[in-house]
Amino acid sequence: MERITLNVNGQSHQLNIKVNETLLDVLREQLGLFGTKKGCDSGACGACTVIIDGEPALSCMILAVRCQGREILTIEGLAPEGELHPLQESAIEHGAVQCGFCTPGWLMSAKALLDENPAPSRREVQAAIAGNLCRCTGYKQIEDAILAVAKK
Amino acid sequence: MRLPEFSYVAPRSLAEACTTLEEMDGKAAVIAGGTDLLQPLKEKLKRPHYLVDLRSIPGLDEISYDPKEGLTLGAMVSLRHLAASRVVKQTYPVLAQAALEVATAQIQAMGTVGGNLCQDSLCLYYNRSAASKKGLELCLKAGGDVCHTVKGSGKCWATFCSDLAPVFLVLGARIKIVDKDGERVSPLAELYSGHGRRPLTLKPGQVLTQIMVPPVTGSDGAVYLKLRLRQSIDYPALGVAAGIRVKEETQKIAVALTGVEKKPLLFEKELARDQTIGEDVIRVLAEQAYAQAHPLNNLRDFTPKYRKEMVPIYVRSALQQALHWGGQ
Repeated sequence: MERITLNVNGQSHQLNIKVNETLLDVLREQLGLFGTKKGCDSGACGACTVIIDGEPALSCMILAVRCQGREILTIEGLAPEGELHPLQESAIEHGAVQCGFCTPGWLMSAKALLDENPAPSRREVQAAIAGNLCRCTGYKQIEDAILAVAKK
Repeated sequence: MRLPEFSYVAPRSLAEACTTLEEMDGKAAVIAGGTDLLQPLKEKLKRPHYLVDLRSIPGLDEISYDPKEGLTLGAMVSLRHLAASRVVKQTYPVLAQAALEVATAQIQAMGTVGGNLCQDSLCLYYNRSAASKKGLELCLKAGGDVCHTVKGSGKCWATFCSDLAPVFLVLGARIKIVDKDGERVSPLAELYSGHGRRPLTLKPGQVLTQIMVPPVTGSDGAVYLKLRLRQSIDYPALGVAAGIRVKEETQKIAVALTGVEKKPLLFEKELARDQTIGEDVIRVLAEQAYAQAHPLNNLRDFTPKYRKEMVPIYVRSALQQALHWGGQ
């Protein structure tokens, strides 16, 4: 067991973890943050995407022990309790959510993109979410939802 | 999938990392970005007793540029930072472009330049879940003694698929390898063993720390073309880099291939500076590449025949584009 401090959504947590635990497992099992999904668990689907130090990252492909001292943002930290982030509002408006399993992942990818590039082109949006597989929407609605926020 | 048990070491200096790695004598694995390592660990394809993390060592994630010396990249520079670097975009645009061809945005943010060059080779018979291997004899790469790709060959044919390796090769990059006795600089090509089972020449205790790319002149040009099924995530079914490097009296034309052999393949030709690079040169390089590329049925997409037929087409196109960029 290793004692580490994780900064998640602006809160600092003292945790006992095993060095072979992924950030995804620690988020879900120790912190109860179930918004970050376990899809393929092998780095291919993007459902587990979180933002680490401002950059999109796959929480299934990073050891929790390597995240000490870094700022982690999960879907739960996207908007204050009881409110929705503009990206989430836009997702509802554009029908970009169907089964919902990929949604937290692409929202985090989109958030990382817009933080860095507030007015992306459709191509840039596509590149940013290319690592987030969606089996329902066909991506068009997701792109539209992100672009609508970008324009505002 | 749970990761197997291992001890985790975060050395504070390169010397400490090298000593630790050597003491572990092959039982330790280096972790940089982790994107190429964690999946084989989860599948129990690799079982290191120790993971030695390079992230805690200061100075390995720096990019520096000097018009006389060229570009120096720390092995821990992420692909995302490589692609976003102003000097890389201005002076070595092909590197920025190739970094963005790797996998996905998330993996570009996590994966490193050193990790991309040191990535393990791939094979459909090896990189699969334990359950789907049921009934298959253990292959050479997994520690057994058969190869399912080239049956009866007695050697491992796993394919090397780094996107960056061919690009660095045509740019004439050199690498710095550090161990507890010191450091040495060698051409990038020497990093690759040509063996499917262990594609790198690094020995326990040796760490790749820097990639040095020579300076470019206004007449230099380089491109990277990647054959793949999807616009994201895929490894190259074929990757071709071409580059022209003009020196005082000579010019070097280089073509490098990935995804078609156990190591990246490099073909070079040197001409006098004032000589025109014509169809004859392009044809010779395309023919050499075609002869030596051995795409096999061990990657997911396209048939080996199609990939092989694409080799000369991609080589020609890459060379023509590199010449165009170089203004020839």
